[in-house]
Amino acid sequence: MTAAGTLIRSITILIVAAAVHSRAEDAISGRWEGTARIPDDGLTVVVDLAQENGRWVGSIIIPGFGVKGTPLTDVKVQPPDVNVAVKSPMGIQLKLRLDANNKLAGNFEQAGNRAPLTLQKTGPPQVEYPPRSTAVARELEGEWKGDYEMFGYTRHVSIKFANRPDGATADFVIVGRKHNVLPVDLVTQEGDLVTVDSREMGFSFEGRLRDGKLTGAIRQAAMETPLVLARVK
Amino acid sequence: MFRGDAMHSGTYTGPAPRQFHRVKWKFPTGDRVISSPVFKDNLIYFGGDDGNVYAVDTETGHQIWKRATNGPVPATPAVADGTVYIGSYDGKFYAFNAQTGALKWKFSTDGERRFEAKGLHGMQPKNQTIADPFDIFLSSPVVANGSVYFGSGDGNVYALDSATGDLRWKFKTGDVVHASPALGDGVLFFGSWDSYFYAVDAVTGKEKWRFHGGEDPMIHNQVGFQSSPAVVNGTVYTGCRDSNLYVLDAATGKEKWRFFNDLSWVITSPAVADGKVFFATSDSSLYHVVDASSGKPIVRQQGKAYMFSSPAVGSDVVFIGVLNGTLEARDPKTGDLLWDFKVEKSKQNNSWVLTGDRKFNVPFLFHSNWREAPLVATDQQSRIGGIYSSPLVVNGVVYFGSADGFVYALE
Repeated sequence: MTAAGTLIRSITILIVAAAVHSRAEDAISGRWEGTARIPDDGLTVVVDLAQENGRWVGSIIIPGFGVKGTPLTDVKVQPPDVNVAVKSPMGIQLKLRLDANNKLAGNFEQAGNRAPLTLQKTGPPQVEYPPRSTAVARELEGEWKGDYEMFGYTRHVSIKFANRPDGATADFVIVGRKHNVLPVDLVTQEGDLVTVDSREMGFSFEGRLRDGKLTGAIRQAAMETPLVLARVK
Repeated sequence: MFRGDAMHSGTYTGPAPRQFHRVKWKFPTGDRVISSPVFKDNLIYFGGDDGNVYAVDTETGHQIWKRATNGPVPATPAVADGTVYIGSYDGKFYAFNAQTGALKWKFSTDGERRFEAKGLHGMQPKNQTIADPFDIFLSSPVVANGSVYFGSGDGNVYALDSATGDLRWKFKTGDVVHASPALGDGVLFFGSWDSYFYAVDAVTGKEKWRFHGGEDPMIHNQVGFQSSPAVVNGTVYTGCRDSNLYVLDAATGKEKWRFFNDLSWVITSPAVADGKVFFATSDSSLYHVVDASSGKPIVRQQGKAYMFSSPAVGSDVVFIGVLNGTLEARDPKTGDLLWDFKVEKSKQNNSWVLTGDRKFNVPFLFHSNWREAPLVATDQQSRIGGIYSSPLVVNGVVYFGSADGFVYALE
């Protein structure tokens, strides 16, 4: 074979391989639905997987378990293997492989338990995206403090707002018997209404900026207590 | 009687299995066994959530008799003078012949109920009154001086003539009394869900003192005495849902010390032996041994799951049940696990009630606090064979009930 022939053959192989890879990725993109066979129960699982700007994104729904449109994290698609994690208190992992019947089959893992899971494609992907933090007004930037009482003792709250290019952030600290630094995943401001969420810890603050104070309530799971925050000078 | 004696010390003399050899027998019933077995004359007696009261031969594990009540019996009987005394969720208190099970008498209280509150434990909607699924035990009686004493969901503590069932006196508290009264020096000690702990003259029913535990007007989670007290050497030891272990002067009710457990309930009834207090917690799942005079920590062991069962202190081993369906045997000095026994139902782990390392799979179970979801989750928890029952140790054998419906004898 001539040098030109070798080159043409190599290019052809690369094109075919890329096409096959692309077809495999196309096969994985979509809405998938199935059942995880946990002992004495069946868990309906709906997974949306899509490619976006060259990377894989996705979300998951588990009806009856309060999981709706929860983002997939750590999505690894290397056809035929699909491995994803779900960032939620449940801590779910899916370890799947596209089989000859075009089904994603593998395991549903949660908290050290493992159950067989088979998913069948039911349509195009409908990936949900989590809400994003907004910017906050300049007068809100900086540290705010206040106290509330629960279970007979006082807790001191500090929220420190800062604007970043992709939305506001907040340092959320509650000091009672312990010093708790809460991870914040959402900060929003709509008019005078300000919210700070730590969904991982189940805490949130919601208040209105009026007369130089943030007047609202702190919520811990189902418990809601009034809280007024004043700017630290 | 419950916890071995009228003072509820929770200590058992004689040999105890420091190593596990075998299941001597297991006895099936029709529903959960929350009750703790008590021993008398080669029989054990206990109640079942199937509504029956049972007498079972300790050697063979065969049923000697059973008698039906009209409600679950998650109470521990007292056996005295040839009579078995026990209450039922049907609101009646029964006296049976210990040998035959024949009914001697029964007494009607003003009716049983569980502790309840609006927005309980953060369940929603918050204006809905919800019965507490963790109010799992009924009060167990104590018998002394011709009287039988017990608490009731009607808020009363009753003193009845033990021979006839006639009412001698009743003492009204502000809420459910499902803790079991302890008796020491002619005084009855008990806590109520009204947040108070009481000392009452056993003869007259007159209050001697009361002690105020914590309150929780928001979600009613950190309130009430569910633990039953132990009275040893003029001192009262009791757990509380406000997450404290309280230690009080028996004569005055004055607090000697308290041990705070970071918002985790103390449902177990403390055992007191050799100058030490043995108890455990619910959510934090900690097994504690503290100095009885000072409260200074001696042993702190991290368990796997909630403990409602009360520790039984044998000669050189401590037994405690865990709600993940495990009976644990621990070294009294170090708290180290000597051996454990897992009921079959807990190994099946239906509906993934447990995590892979046998903790409660809380985010999976309690994913909603609306409607009946938390109640269903609580029910699921018990279906894996949780051990609420407090172990009984007799002649080298440990006996306990499980929510899988069996009573086990291990040696």
